Amino acid sequence: MIELHDVTKIYDGQTVPAVEDLTLKIEEGETCVFVGPSGCGKSTILRMINRMIEQTSGDVLIDGKDVRETDPNQLRMSIGYVIQQIGLLPHRTVAENIGIVPRLHGWGKDRVAARVDELLELMGLDPEETRTKFPAQLSGGQMQRVGVARAMAVDPPVMLMDEPFGAVDPIVRSRLQDEFLRLQREMRKTICFVTHDINEAIKMGDTIAIFTKGRLVQHGTPQEILSHPKNEFVKDFIGQDRVVKMLTLFQVHNIARPNPCIIRENELPDIGRKMQQEQAPVIFLVDDSGKPCGLITAEDLERETANGAGTERLKELAYSKRGAFIGGDLLLNDALSYMLEWDTDYLGVMNGRGLAEVLSMADIRECACRKEGDQ
Amino acid sequence: MSDLLKYMVENASIILNYTETHFSLIFSAVIISLLLWIPVGILISRNEKLAGIVLGIANTIFCIPSLALFAVFVTVPFLGLGRSSALLALVLYAMMPMVINVYQGIKIVDKNVIEAAKGMGMNSGQILKEIQFPLAVPVMFAGVRITVVMSTGIAAIAAYIGERNLGRLITEGLTRNNIEMILTGAILVALIAIFFDTVLGAFEKMLVPKGLKIRRSN
Ligand SMILES: Nc1ncnc2c1ncn2[C@@H]1O[C@H](COP(=O)(O)OP(=O)(O)O)[C@@H](O)[C@H]1O
Ligand SMILES: [Mg+2]
Repeated sequence: MIELHDVTKIYDGQTVPAVEDLTLKIEEGETCVFVGPSGCGKSTILRMINRMIEQTSGDVLIDGKDVRETDPNQLRMSIGYVIQQIGLLPHRTVAENIGIVPRLHGWGKDRVAARVDELLELMGLDPEETRTKFPAQLSGGQMQRVGVARAMAVDPPVMLMDEPFGAVDPIVRSRLQDEFLRLQREMRKTICFVTHDINEAIKMGDTIAIFTKGRLVQHGTPQEILSHPKNEFVKDFIGQDRVVKMLTLFQVHNIARPNPCIIRENELPDIGRKMQQEQAPVIFLVDDSGKPCGLITAEDLERETANGAGTERLKELAYSKRGAFIGGDLLLNDALSYMLEWDTDYLGVMNGRGLAEVLSMADIRECACRKEGDQ
Repeated sequence: MSDLLKYMVENASIILNYTETHFSLIFSAVIISLLLWIPVGILISRNEKLAGIVLGIANTIFCIPSLALFAVFVTVPFLGLGRSSALLALVLYAMMPMVINVYQGIKIVDKNVIEAAKGMGMNSGQILKEIQFPLAVPVMFAGVRITVVMSTGIAAIAAYIGERNLGRLITEGLTRNNIEMILTGAILVALIAIFFDTVLGAFEKMLVPKGLKIRRSN
Protein backbone atom coordinates (compact mmCIF):
# COMPACT_ATOMS: atom_id res chain seq x y z
CA MET A 1 0.00 0.00 0.00
CA ILE A 2 1.29 3.43 -0.95
CA GLU A 3 0.02 6.57 0.72
CA LEU A 4 0.81 10.17 -0.08
CA HIS A 5 -0.29 12.79 2.43
CA ASP A 6 -0.35 16.46 1.44
CA VAL A 7 2.72 15.97 -0.68
CA THR A 8 4.15 19.03 -2.37
CA LYS A 9 7.27 19.27 -4.48
CA ILE A 10 8.82 22.55 -5.52
CA TYR A 11 12.02 22.10 -7.49
CA ASP A 12 14.98 24.27 -6.58
CA GLY A 13 14.83 27.63 -8.24
CA GLN A 14 11.14 27.31 -9.14
CA THR A 15 8.14 28.98 -7.60
CA VAL A 16 5.37 26.89 -9.11
CA PRO A 17 5.05 23.50 -7.42
CA ALA A 18 5.57 20.51 -9.73
CA VAL A 19 3.23 18.59 -7.42
CA GLU A 20 0.88 20.34 -5.04
CA ASP A 21 -0.93 19.05 -1.95
CA LEU A 22 -1.31 15.55 -3.24
CA THR A 23 -3.15 13.06 -1.08
CA LEU A 24 -3.60 9.67 -2.67
CA LYS A 25 -3.82 6.10 -1.50
CA ILE A 26 -2.96 3.09 -3.62
CA GLU A 27 -4.18 -0.14 -2.13
CA GLU A 28 -2.16 -3.30 -1.97
CA GLY A 29 -2.34 -5.23 -5.24
CA GLU A 30 -3.83 -2.26 -7.07
CA THR A 31 -2.57 -0.76 -10.30
CA CYS A 32 -3.04 2.97 -10.15
CA VAL A 33 -2.41 4.78 -13.40
CA PHE A 34 -1.26 8.39 -13.24
CA VAL A 35 -2.40 10.13 -16.36
CA GLY A 36 -2.30 13.72 -17.52
CA PRO A 37 -0.65 16.06 -19.99
CA SER A 38 3.12 16.18 -20.22
CA GLY A 39 4.67 18.20 -17.40
CA CYS A 40 1.78 17.75 -14.97
CA GLY A 41 4.03 16.11 -12.37
CA LYS A 42 3.51 12.38 -12.92
CA SER A 43 7.18 11.43 -12.98
CA THR A 44 7.85 13.70 -10.05
CA ILE A 45 5.36 11.75 -7.94
CA LEU A 46 6.94 8.42 -8.85
CA ARG A 47 10.37 9.73 -8.04
CA MET A 48 9.26 10.86 -4.62
CA ILE A 49 7.99 7.38 -3.85
CA ASN A 50 11.42 5.80 -4.35
CA ARG A 51 13.26 8.86 -3.04
CA MET A 52 14.98 9.71 -6.28
CA ILE A 53 13.91 13.18 -5.17
CA GLU A 54 12.74 14.42 -1.80
CA GLN A 55 9.35 16.06 -1.38
CA THR A 56 9.29 19.67 -0.18
CA SER A 57 6.55 18.85 2.31
CA GLY A 58 4.16 16.05 3.18
CA ASP A 59 4.67 12.36 3.76
CA VAL A 60 5.10 9.34 1.53
CA LEU A 61 4.36 6.01 3.16
CA ILE A 62 4.78 2.48 1.91
CA ASP A 63 2.91 -0.09 3.99
CA GLY A 64 2.49 2.55 6.65
CA LYS A 65 6.18 3.31 6.88
CA ASP A 66 7.61 6.71 5.95
CA VAL A 67 10.00 6.19 3.05
CA ARG A 68 12.45 8.59 4.68
CA GLU A 69 13.04 6.02 7.41
CA THR A 70 14.67 3.62 4.96
CA ASP A 71 18.10 4.12 3.42
CA PRO A 72 17.44 5.35 -0.13
CA ASN A 73 19.43 2.61 -1.83
CA GLN A 74 17.83 -0.11 0.29
CA LEU A 75 14.44 1.38 -0.49
CA ARG A 76 15.08 1.44 -4.24
CA MET A 77 16.40 -2.10 -4.19
CA SER A 78 13.02 -3.18 -2.87
CA ILE A 79 10.95 -1.27 -5.43
CA GLY A 80 10.79 -2.15 -9.12
CA TYR A 81 11.42 0.91 -11.29
CA VAL A 82 10.95 1.09 -15.04
CA ILE A 83 11.50 4.23 -17.10
CA GLN A 84 10.44 4.95 -20.65
CA GLN A 85 14.00 5.11 -21.92
CA ILE A 86 14.60 1.83 -20.08
CA GLY A 87 18.26 2.63 -19.42
CA LEU A 88 19.71 -0.81 -19.97
CA LEU A 89 23.46 -0.89 -19.33
CA PRO A 90 24.79 -0.98 -22.90
CA HIS A 91 28.02 -2.76 -21.97
CA ARG A 92 26.27 -5.54 -20.08
CA THR A 93 24.38 -8.52 -21.46
CA VAL A 94 20.68 -9.02 -20.97
CA ALA A 95 21.38 -11.52 -18.19
CA GLU A 96 23.75 -9.13 -16.44
CA ASN A 97 21.23 -6.33 -16.72
CA ILE A 98 18.45 -8.38 -15.21
CA GLY A 99 20.81 -9.66 -12.53
CA ILE A 100 21.74 -6.22 -11.21
CA VAL A 101 19.29 -5.98 -8.33
CA PRO A 102 19.62 -9.65 -7.29
CA ARG A 103 23.38 -9.08 -7.16
CA LEU A 104 22.88 -5.98 -5.03
CA HIS A 105 20.84 -8.20 -2.72
CA GLY A 106 23.81 -10.56 -2.54
CA TRP A 107 22.26 -13.53 -4.36
CA GLY A 108 24.60 -16.31 -5.46
CA LYS A 109 25.49 -16.76 -9.12
CA ASP A 110 23.35 -19.83 -9.71
CA ARG A 111 20.32 -18.31 -8.10
CA VAL A 112 20.68 -15.18 -10.23
CA ALA A 113 21.10 -17.24 -13.41
CA ALA A 114 18.03 -19.32 -12.64
CA ARG A 115 15.98 -16.22 -11.91
CA VAL A 116 17.13 -14.53 -15.11
CA ASP A 117 15.96 -17.49 -17.18
CA GLU A 118 12.69 -17.63 -15.33
CA LEU A 119 12.05 -13.93 -15.97
CA LEU A 120 12.99 -14.12 -19.64
CA GLU A 121 10.58 -17.02 -19.99
CA LEU A 122 7.90 -15.03 -18.20
CA MET A 123 8.41 -12.08 -20.53
CA GLY A 124 8.11 -14.28 -23.58
CA LEU A 125 11.80 -14.18 -24.50
CA ASP A 126 13.82 -17.27 -25.26
CA PRO A 127 16.43 -17.44 -22.47
CA GLU A 128 18.86 -19.49 -24.55
CA GLU A 129 18.86 -16.91 -27.30
CA THR A 130 18.47 -13.71 -25.33
CA ARG A 131 20.53 -13.94 -22.20
CA THR A 132 23.93 -13.34 -23.78
CA LYS A 133 22.76 -10.59 -26.10
CA PHE A 134 23.66 -6.95 -25.58
CA PRO A 135 20.97 -4.28 -25.49
CA ALA A 136 22.06 -2.99 -28.91
CA GLN A 137 21.06 -6.34 -30.37
CA LEU A 138 17.47 -6.16 -29.14
CA SER A 139 14.39 -4.72 -30.81
CA GLY A 140 12.45 -1.97 -29.06
CA GLY A 141 9.86 -4.40 -27.76
CA GLN A 142 12.48 -6.80 -26.50
CA MET A 143 14.25 -3.97 -24.69
CA GLN A 144 11.06 -2.96 -22.95
CA ARG A 145 10.52 -6.57 -21.92
CA VAL A 146 14.03 -6.78 -20.50
CA GLY A 147 13.46 -3.48 -18.70
CA VAL A 148 10.33 -4.85 -17.05
CA ALA A 149 12.03 -8.17 -16.26
CA ARG A 150 14.89 -6.28 -14.66
CA ALA A 151 12.50 -4.33 -12.46
CA MET A 152 10.77 -7.54 -11.39
CA ALA A 153 13.99 -9.42 -10.70
CA VAL A 154 13.65 -9.74 -6.93
CA ASP A 155 9.88 -9.88 -7.13
CA PRO A 156 9.34 -6.51 -5.44
CA PRO A 157 5.84 -5.98 -4.02
CA VAL A 158 5.79 -2.41 -5.30
CA MET A 159 6.57 -1.32 -8.87
CA LEU A 160 6.88 2.17 -10.29
CA MET A 161 6.51 2.26 -14.06
CA ASP A 162 7.09 5.54 -15.86
CA GLU A 163 5.65 5.25 -19.37
CA PRO A 164 7.10 1.76 -19.59
CA PHE A 165 5.64 1.02 -23.02
CA GLY A 166 5.94 4.54 -24.35
CA ALA A 167 8.78 3.99 -26.77
CA VAL A 168 7.37 1.20 -28.93
CA ASP A 169 4.93 1.16 -31.82
CA PRO A 170 1.22 0.72 -31.09
CA ILE A 171 1.05 -2.95 -32.04
CA VAL A 172 3.95 -3.96 -29.83
CA ARG A 173 2.65 -1.68 -27.09
CA SER A 174 -0.74 -3.32 -27.12
CA ARG A 175 0.87 -6.75 -26.89
CA LEU A 176 3.11 -5.68 -24.01
CA GLN A 177 0.08 -4.26 -22.23
CA ASP A 178 -1.83 -7.50 -22.64
CA GLU A 179 1.10 -9.55 -21.40
CA PHE A 180 1.65 -7.32 -18.43
CA LEU A 181 -2.03 -7.41 -17.50
CA ARG A 182 -1.90 -11.19 -17.62
CA LEU A 183 1.15 -11.24 -15.33
CA GLN A 184 -0.30 -8.69 -12.96
CA ARG A 185 -3.48 -10.73 -12.55
CA GLU A 186 -1.29 -13.37 -10.91
CA MET A 187 1.29 -11.16 -9.24
CA ARG A 188 -1.09 -8.63 -7.70
CA LYS A 189 1.71 -6.15 -7.12
CA THR A 190 1.05 -2.62 -5.99
CA ILE A 191 1.83 -0.59 -9.09
CA CYS A 192 2.06 3.08 -9.97
CA PHE A 193 1.91 3.29 -13.72
CA VAL A 194 2.50 6.57 -15.52
CA THR A 195 1.17 7.32 -18.98
CA HIS A 196 -0.09 10.29 -20.94
CA ASP A 197 -2.34 8.05 -23.00
CA ILE A 198 -5.89 7.86 -21.63
CA ASN A 199 -6.55 4.63 -23.52
CA GLU A 200 -3.59 2.97 -21.85
CA ALA A 201 -4.82 4.29 -18.50
CA ILE A 202 -8.27 2.80 -19.04
CA LYS A 203 -6.79 -0.50 -20.11
CA MET A 204 -4.15 -0.90 -17.42
CA GLY A 205 -5.64 0.76 -14.36
CA ASP A 206 -7.63 -0.65 -11.50
CA THR A 207 -7.85 3.01 -10.67
CA ILE A 208 -6.90 6.10 -12.62
CA ALA A 209 -5.57 9.33 -11.14
CA ILE A 210 -5.90 12.28 -13.50
CA PHE A 211 -3.55 15.21 -12.99
CA THR A 212 -3.11 18.63 -14.41
CA LYS A 213 -0.54 21.25 -13.45
CA GLY A 214 0.63 19.34 -10.41
CA ARG A 215 -2.82 18.78 -8.99
CA LEU A 216 -4.91 15.64 -8.72
CA VAL A 217 -8.20 16.26 -10.46
CA GLN A 218 -9.94 12.93 -10.11
CA HIS A 219 -9.13 9.50 -8.76
CA GLY A 220 -11.39 6.56 -9.35
CA THR A 221 -11.95 3.35 -11.26
CA PRO A 222 -11.96 3.68 -15.03
CA GLN A 223 -15.69 3.17 -14.94
CA GLU A 224 -16.23 5.94 -12.41
CA ILE A 225 -14.07 8.32 -14.35
CA LEU A 226 -15.66 7.52 -17.68
CA SER A 227 -19.19 7.65 -16.38
CA HIS A 228 -18.75 10.61 -14.03
CA PRO A 229 -15.97 12.86 -15.26
CA LYS A 230 -15.57 15.41 -12.54
CA ASN A 231 -15.16 18.50 -14.70
CA GLU A 232 -14.57 19.81 -18.19
CA PHE A 233 -10.85 19.09 -18.03
CA VAL A 234 -11.43 15.41 -17.37
CA LYS A 235 -14.12 15.28 -20.05
CA ASP A 236 -11.82 16.90 -22.58
CA PHE A 237 -8.97 14.64 -21.58
CA ILE A 238 -11.09 11.54 -22.07
CA GLY A 239 -12.30 12.78 -25.44
CA GLN A 240 -15.58 12.84 -27.37
CA ASP A 241 -15.76 9.08 -27.56
CA ARG A 242 -16.26 8.71 -23.82
CA VAL A 243 -19.06 6.16 -24.14
CA VAL A 244 -17.22 4.09 -26.69
CA LYS A 245 -14.19 4.14 -24.37
CA MET A 246 -16.43 2.85 -21.63
CA LEU A 247 -17.24 -0.11 -23.85
CA THR A 248 -13.54 -1.01 -23.76
CA LEU A 249 -14.02 -1.95 -20.11
CA PHE A 250 -16.14 -4.96 -21.06
CA GLN A 251 -15.62 -8.09 -23.04
CA VAL A 252 -18.30 -9.57 -25.22
CA HIS A 253 -18.88 -12.52 -22.93
CA ASN A 254 -19.68 -10.13 -20.06
CA ILE A 255 -23.01 -9.29 -21.68
CA ALA A 256 -23.63 -11.79 -24.48
CA ARG A 257 -26.62 -14.10 -24.10
CA PRO A 258 -26.43 -17.87 -24.27
CA ASN A 259 -28.40 -20.35 -26.40
CA PRO A 260 -28.48 -18.71 -29.80
CA CYS A 261 -31.15 -20.02 -32.10
CA ILE A 262 -29.62 -22.12 -34.87
CA ILE A 263 -30.91 -23.44 -38.15
CA ARG A 264 -29.34 -25.79 -40.70
CA GLU A 265 -29.55 -25.09 -44.40
CA ASN A 266 -31.84 -28.03 -45.05
CA GLU A 267 -34.21 -26.75 -42.38
CA LEU A 268 -34.59 -23.34 -44.07
CA PRO A 269 -38.09 -24.01 -45.41
CA ASP A 270 -39.11 -24.53 -41.81
CA ILE A 271 -37.54 -21.28 -40.59
CA GLY A 272 -40.71 -19.37 -39.82
CA ARG A 273 -42.09 -22.01 -37.50
CA LYS A 274 -38.75 -22.48 -35.79
CA MET A 275 -38.28 -18.81 -34.99
CA GLN A 276 -41.78 -18.47 -33.71
CA GLN A 277 -41.33 -21.49 -31.53
CA GLU A 278 -38.13 -20.17 -29.98
CA GLN A 279 -39.25 -16.53 -29.77
CA ALA A 280 -35.80 -15.59 -31.05
CA PRO A 281 -35.08 -12.14 -32.52
CA VAL A 282 -32.35 -13.65 -34.68
CA ILE A 283 -31.48 -17.03 -36.08
CA PHE A 284 -28.05 -18.22 -37.18
CA LEU A 285 -27.53 -20.35 -40.22
CA VAL A 286 -25.00 -23.17 -39.96
CA ASP A 287 -23.70 -25.21 -42.87
CA ASP A 288 -23.52 -29.00 -43.05
CA SER A 289 -20.25 -29.11 -41.13
CA GLY A 290 -21.80 -27.11 -38.31
CA LYS A 291 -19.93 -23.94 -39.14
CA PRO A 292 -21.95 -20.72 -38.73
CA CYS A 293 -22.23 -18.91 -42.02
CA GLY A 294 -24.79 -16.17 -41.59
CA LEU A 295 -27.84 -14.87 -39.78
CA ILE A 296 -31.39 -13.68 -40.33
CA THR A 297 -33.31 -11.40 -37.98
CA ALA A 298 -36.98 -11.85 -37.17
CA GLU A 299 -37.67 -8.52 -38.85
CA ASP A 300 -35.95 -9.52 -42.07
CA LEU A 301 -37.77 -12.79 -42.11
CA GLU A 302 -41.14 -11.17 -41.65
CA ARG A 303 -40.50 -8.67 -44.44
CA GLU A 304 -39.11 -11.25 -46.81
CA THR A 305 -41.91 -13.74 -46.22
CA ALA A 306 -44.42 -10.97 -46.79
CA ASN A 307 -42.70 -10.38 -50.13
CA GLY A 308 -42.96 -14.08 -50.81
CA ALA A 309 -39.22 -14.80 -50.74
CA GLY A 310 -38.10 -18.38 -51.20
CA THR A 311 -35.41 -20.48 -49.52
CA GLU A 312 -32.72 -19.26 -51.91
CA ARG A 313 -33.45 -15.62 -51.13
CA LEU A 314 -33.32 -16.32 -47.39
CA LYS A 315 -30.07 -18.14 -47.75
CA GLU A 316 -28.61 -15.27 -49.71
CA LEU A 317 -29.78 -12.85 -47.06
CA ALA A 318 -28.21 -14.90 -44.29
CA TYR A 319 -24.93 -15.19 -46.18
CA SER A 320 -24.71 -11.43 -46.59
CA LYS A 321 -23.90 -11.33 -42.87
CA ARG A 322 -21.35 -14.12 -43.00
CA GLY A 323 -18.76 -11.97 -41.15
CA ALA A 324 -21.00 -11.26 -38.19
CA PHE A 325 -19.17 -13.62 -35.87
CA ILE A 326 -16.71 -12.66 -33.15
CA GLY A 327 -14.82 -14.14 -30.20
CA GLY A 328 -16.02 -13.82 -26.64
CA ASP A 329 -12.89 -12.04 -25.44
CA LEU A 330 -13.33 -9.18 -27.89
CA LEU A 331 -13.92 -5.80 -26.25
CA LEU A 332 -17.37 -4.29 -26.69
CA ASN A 333 -16.09 -1.30 -28.63
CA ASP A 334 -14.59 -3.66 -31.19
CA ALA A 335 -17.80 -5.66 -31.27
CA LEU A 336 -19.67 -2.45 -31.99
CA SER A 337 -17.30 -1.78 -34.84
CA TYR A 338 -18.11 -5.21 -36.29
CA MET A 339 -21.82 -4.48 -36.08
CA LEU A 340 -21.37 -1.29 -38.04
CA GLU A 341 -19.08 -2.96 -40.54
CA TRP A 342 -21.53 -5.80 -41.23
CA ASP A 343 -24.57 -3.59 -40.87
CA THR A 344 -26.21 -5.84 -38.33
CA ASP A 345 -27.76 -5.55 -34.89
CA TYR A 346 -26.65 -9.03 -33.93
CA LEU A 347 -23.37 -10.87 -33.77
CA GLY A 348 -22.72 -14.55 -33.20
CA VAL A 349 -20.19 -15.18 -30.44
CA MET A 350 -17.89 -18.08 -31.19
CA ASN A 351 -16.41 -20.48 -28.73
CA GLY A 352 -13.68 -22.17 -30.69
CA ARG A 353 -15.37 -23.35 -33.92
CA GLY A 354 -18.83 -23.45 -32.48
CA LEU A 355 -21.47 -20.79 -31.96
CA ALA A 356 -21.95 -20.17 -28.24
CA GLU A 357 -23.72 -16.90 -27.61
CA VAL A 358 -25.43 -13.98 -29.24
CA LEU A 359 -24.64 -10.31 -28.78
CA SER A 360 -27.15 -7.65 -29.73
CA MET A 361 -26.90 -3.91 -30.28
CA ALA A 362 -29.60 -3.52 -27.67
CA ASP A 363 -27.39 -5.28 -25.13
CA ILE A 364 -24.49 -2.96 -25.90
CA ARG A 365 -26.70 0.07 -25.67
CA GLU A 366 -28.11 -1.11 -22.39
CA CYS A 367 -24.62 -1.77 -21.06
CA ALA A 368 -23.44 1.72 -21.98
CA CYS A 369 -26.52 3.35 -20.47
CA ARG A 370 -26.51 1.24 -17.33
CA LYS A 371 -22.86 1.91 -16.68
CA GLU A 372 -23.32 5.56 -17.35
CA GLY A 373 -26.21 5.68 -14.93
CA ASP A 374 -24.97 3.78 -11.90
CA GLN A 375 -23.44 5.21 -8.75
CA MET B 1 70.60 10.77 -47.69
CA SER B 2 73.69 8.67 -47.34
CA ASP B 3 75.20 11.39 -45.16
CA LEU B 4 72.20 11.09 -42.86
CA LEU B 5 72.56 7.31 -42.60
CA LYS B 6 76.25 7.65 -42.04
CA TYR B 7 75.61 10.11 -39.23
CA MET B 8 73.08 7.81 -37.63
CA VAL B 9 75.35 4.79 -37.76
CA GLU B 10 78.37 6.62 -36.44
CA ASN B 11 76.40 8.12 -33.56
CA ALA B 12 74.20 5.12 -32.90
CA SER B 13 75.06 4.78 -29.24
CA ILE B 14 74.41 8.44 -28.39
CA ILE B 15 71.19 8.43 -30.42
CA LEU B 16 70.08 5.31 -28.59
CA ASN B 17 70.94 6.95 -25.33
CA TYR B 18 68.94 10.06 -26.22
CA THR B 19 66.01 7.95 -27.33
CA GLU B 20 66.05 6.18 -24.02
CA THR B 21 65.97 9.46 -22.10
CA HIS B 22 63.22 10.68 -24.37
CA PHE B 23 61.12 7.62 -23.64
CA SER B 24 61.77 7.69 -19.92
CA LEU B 25 60.67 11.33 -19.67
CA ILE B 26 57.47 10.64 -21.57
CA PHE B 27 56.86 7.50 -19.54
CA SER B 28 57.29 9.24 -16.19
CA ALA B 29 55.16 12.17 -17.28
CA VAL B 30 52.36 9.93 -18.50
CA ILE B 31 52.37 7.77 -15.37
CA ILE B 32 52.21 10.80 -13.11
CA SER B 33 49.51 12.34 -15.31
CA LEU B 34 47.39 9.19 -15.15
CA LEU B 35 47.66 9.02 -11.37
CA LEU B 36 46.90 12.68 -11.00
CA TRP B 37 44.45 13.64 -13.72
CA ILE B 38 42.12 10.64 -13.78
CA PRO B 39 41.06 11.20 -10.17
CA VAL B 40 40.75 14.93 -10.86
CA GLY B 41 38.60 14.21 -13.92
CA ILE B 42 36.37 11.89 -11.89
CA LEU B 43 36.13 14.41 -9.10
CA ILE B 44 35.02 17.26 -11.31
CA SER B 45 32.49 15.05 -13.10
CA ARG B 46 30.56 15.10 -9.83
CA ASN B 47 30.82 18.81 -9.16
CA GLU B 48 29.90 21.20 -11.94
CA LYS B 49 31.28 24.28 -10.22
CA LEU B 50 34.65 22.68 -9.62
CA ALA B 51 34.60 21.40 -13.20
CA GLY B 52 34.33 24.94 -14.53
CA ILE B 53 37.32 26.09 -12.49
CA VAL B 54 39.55 23.10 -13.16
CA LEU B 55 38.83 22.96 -16.87
CA GLY B 56 39.51 26.70 -17.05
CA ILE B 57 42.91 26.23 -15.43
CA ALA B 58 43.74 23.30 -17.71
CA ASN B 59 42.84 25.36 -20.75
CA THR B 60 44.91 28.32 -19.63
CA ILE B 61 47.97 26.19 -19.02
CA PHE B 62 47.52 24.55 -22.38
CA CYS B 63 47.71 27.96 -24.05
CA ILE B 64 51.14 28.83 -22.61
CA PRO B 65 53.86 28.15 -25.17
CA SER B 66 56.02 25.28 -23.94
CA LEU B 67 59.29 27.17 -24.26
CA ALA B 68 57.89 29.95 -22.08
CA LEU B 69 56.71 27.48 -19.45
CA PHE B 70 60.10 25.74 -19.36
CA ALA B 71 61.84 29.10 -19.04
CA VAL B 72 59.66 30.10 -16.12
CA PHE B 73 60.27 26.82 -14.28
CA VAL B 74 64.02 27.17 -14.65
CA THR B 75 63.87 30.32 -12.57
CA VAL B 76 62.05 28.53 -9.74
CA PRO B 77 64.61 27.54 -7.06
CA PHE B 78 63.38 23.99 -6.46
CA LEU B 79 63.03 23.16 -10.10
CA GLY B 80 65.87 24.74 -12.04
CA LEU B 81 67.42 23.19 -15.09
CA GLY B 82 66.69 19.53 -15.75
CA ARG B 83 64.20 16.77 -15.30
CA SER B 84 61.95 18.19 -12.55
CA SER B 85 61.06 21.22 -14.63
CA ALA B 86 60.56 19.12 -17.74
CA LEU B 87 58.40 16.61 -15.92
CA LEU B 88 56.26 19.26 -14.28
CA ALA B 89 55.68 21.01 -17.57
CA LEU B 90 54.67 17.79 -19.32
CA VAL B 91 52.31 16.85 -16.52
CA LEU B 92 50.72 20.27 -16.62
CA TYR B 93 50.26 20.12 -20.38
CA ALA B 94 48.69 16.69 -19.98
CA MET B 95 46.10 18.19 -17.66
CA MET B 96 43.99 19.52 -20.48
CA PRO B 97 43.63 16.43 -22.70
CA MET B 98 43.46 14.02 -19.77
CA VAL B 99 41.09 15.81 -17.42
CA ILE B 100 38.72 16.91 -20.13
CA ASN B 101 38.52 13.42 -21.62
CA VAL B 102 37.93 11.74 -18.29
CA TYR B 103 35.31 14.35 -17.48
CA GLN B 104 33.56 14.08 -20.80
CA GLY B 105 33.86 10.32 -20.93
CA ILE B 106 31.91 10.15 -17.71
CA LYS B 107 29.52 12.93 -18.64
CA ILE B 108 28.47 11.48 -21.97
CA VAL B 109 27.24 8.26 -20.39
CA ASP B 110 23.50 8.16 -21.12
CA LYS B 111 21.63 9.93 -18.31
CA ASN B 112 18.87 7.36 -18.52
CA VAL B 113 21.30 4.55 -17.78
CA ILE B 114 22.46 6.36 -14.67
CA GLU B 115 18.87 7.16 -13.71
CA ALA B 116 17.83 3.53 -14.06
CA ALA B 117 20.87 2.32 -12.12
CA LYS B 118 20.17 4.77 -9.32
CA GLY B 119 16.54 3.73 -9.34
CA MET B 120 17.58 0.13 -8.83
CA GLY B 121 19.48 1.06 -5.71
CA MET B 122 23.06 1.22 -6.96
CA ASN B 123 25.07 3.74 -4.93
CA SER B 124 27.20 6.37 -6.61
CA GLY B 125 30.39 4.37 -6.08
CA GLN B 126 28.87 1.34 -7.79
CA ILE B 127 27.54 3.49 -10.60
CA LEU B 128 30.99 4.98 -11.12
CA LYS B 129 32.81 1.66 -11.01
CA GLU B 130 30.36 -0.49 -12.92
CA ILE B 131 28.87 1.95 -15.40
CA GLN B 132 30.50 5.33 -15.82
CA PHE B 133 34.10 4.20 -15.68
CA PRO B 134 33.84 1.23 -18.08
CA LEU B 135 31.82 3.29 -20.54
CA ALA B 136 34.24 6.22 -20.25
CA VAL B 137 37.38 4.15 -20.77
CA PRO B 138 37.61 4.60 -24.57
CA VAL B 139 37.21 8.37 -24.29
CA MET B 140 39.67 8.51 -21.40
CA PHE B 141 42.13 6.49 -23.38
CA ALA B 142 41.82 8.90 -26.28
CA GLY B 143 43.04 11.52 -23.84
CA VAL B 144 45.99 9.34 -22.89
CA ARG B 145 46.83 8.89 -26.55
CA ILE B 146 46.80 12.62 -27.20
CA THR B 147 48.91 13.15 -24.08
CA VAL B 148 51.55 10.63 -25.15
CA VAL B 149 51.82 11.99 -28.68
CA MET B 150 51.91 15.57 -27.47
CA SER B 151 54.49 14.77 -24.79
CA THR B 152 56.78 13.28 -27.41
CA GLY B 153 57.02 16.66 -29.10
CA ILE B 154 57.16 18.81 -25.98
CA ALA B 155 59.79 16.54 -24.43
CA ALA B 156 62.06 17.44 -27.35
CA ILE B 157 61.77 21.11 -26.47
CA ALA B 158 62.86 20.27 -22.91
CA ALA B 159 66.33 19.84 -24.41
CA TYR B 160 66.61 23.60 -24.06
CA ILE B 161 66.54 23.23 -20.28
CA GLY B 162 69.10 20.49 -20.14
CA GLU B 163 67.21 17.28 -20.97
CA ARG B 164 69.58 15.02 -22.87
CA ASN B 165 67.09 13.55 -25.32
CA LEU B 166 66.33 13.54 -29.03
CA GLY B 167 65.49 17.22 -28.85
CA ARG B 168 69.13 17.83 -28.07
CA LEU B 169 70.07 16.58 -31.53
CA ILE B 170 67.90 19.35 -32.92
CA THR B 171 69.08 22.17 -30.64
CA GLU B 172 72.72 21.22 -30.93
CA GLY B 173 72.40 20.62 -34.62
CA LEU B 174 70.99 24.12 -34.98
CA THR B 175 73.87 25.75 -33.11
CA ARG B 176 76.44 23.67 -34.94
CA ASN B 177 74.61 24.06 -38.24
CA ASN B 178 74.72 20.24 -38.61
CA ILE B 179 71.90 19.26 -40.94
CA GLU B 180 72.26 15.49 -40.46
CA MET B 181 72.03 15.95 -36.72
CA ILE B 182 68.91 18.12 -36.97
CA LEU B 183 67.25 15.70 -39.38
CA THR B 184 68.05 12.68 -37.23
CA GLY B 185 66.45 14.32 -34.21
CA ALA B 186 63.45 15.59 -36.10
CA ILE B 187 62.77 12.34 -37.94
CA LEU B 188 63.09 10.21 -34.85
CA VAL B 189 60.82 12.43 -32.77
CA ALA B 190 58.25 12.40 -35.55
CA LEU B 191 58.49 8.64 -35.99
CA ILE B 192 58.07 8.02 -32.29
CA ALA B 193 55.01 10.26 -32.22
CA ILE B 194 53.48 8.47 -35.19
CA PHE B 195 54.33 5.12 -33.69
CA PHE B 196 52.61 5.97 -30.41
CA ASP B 197 49.61 7.35 -32.18
CA THR B 198 49.17 4.25 -34.32
CA VAL B 199 49.69 1.70 -31.58
CA LEU B 200 47.57 3.49 -29.01
CA GLY B 201 44.91 4.14 -31.63
CA ALA B 202 44.60 0.44 -32.28
CA PHE B 203 44.49 -0.17 -28.56
CA GLU B 204 41.78 2.40 -28.12
CA LYS B 205 39.49 0.47 -30.46
CA MET B 206 40.01 -2.67 -28.41
CA LEU B 207 38.91 -0.88 -25.27
CA VAL B 208 35.42 -0.12 -26.54
CA PRO B 209 33.10 -2.38 -24.52
CA LYS B 210 31.73 -5.23 -26.61
CA GLY B 211 28.14 -4.17 -26.11
CA LEU B 212 28.87 -0.84 -27.79
CA LYS B 213 30.66 -2.35 -30.74
CA ILE B 214 28.00 -4.71 -31.98
CA ARG B 215 25.10 -3.45 -33.92
CA ARG B 216 21.88 -5.32 -34.23
CA SER B 217 22.49 -8.37 -36.30
CA ASN B 218 18.85 -9.24 -36.98
N1 LIG C 1 14.84 18.05 -12.06
C1 LIG C 1 13.97 19.04 -12.26
N2 LIG C 1 14.30 20.31 -11.96
C2 LIG C 1 13.43 21.31 -12.16
N3 LIG C 1 12.20 21.16 -12.63
C3 LIG C 1 11.80 19.93 -12.96
C4 LIG C 1 12.67 18.80 -12.79
N4 LIG C 1 12.00 17.70 -13.19
C5 LIG C 1 10.79 18.12 -13.59
N5 LIG C 1 10.66 19.45 -13.46
C6 LIG C 1 9.46 20.24 -13.77
O1 LIG C 1 8.40 19.77 -12.99
C7 LIG C 1 7.21 19.67 -13.74
C8 LIG C 1 6.67 18.26 -13.72
O2 LIG C 1 7.56 17.42 -14.43
P1 LIG C 1 7.36 15.86 -14.54
O3 LIG C 1 7.08 15.31 -13.21
O4 LIG C 1 8.51 15.32 -15.28
O5 LIG C 1 6.04 15.80 -15.44
P2 LIG C 1 5.44 14.56 -16.27
O6 LIG C 1 6.16 13.32 -15.89
O7 LIG C 1 3.99 14.56 -15.90
O8 LIG C 1 5.61 14.92 -17.71
C9 LIG C 1 7.54 20.17 -15.12
O9 LIG C 1 7.14 21.53 -15.20
C10 LIG C 1 9.02 20.06 -15.21
O10 LIG C 1 9.55 21.05 -16.02
MG1 LIG D 1 7.33 12.08 -17.13
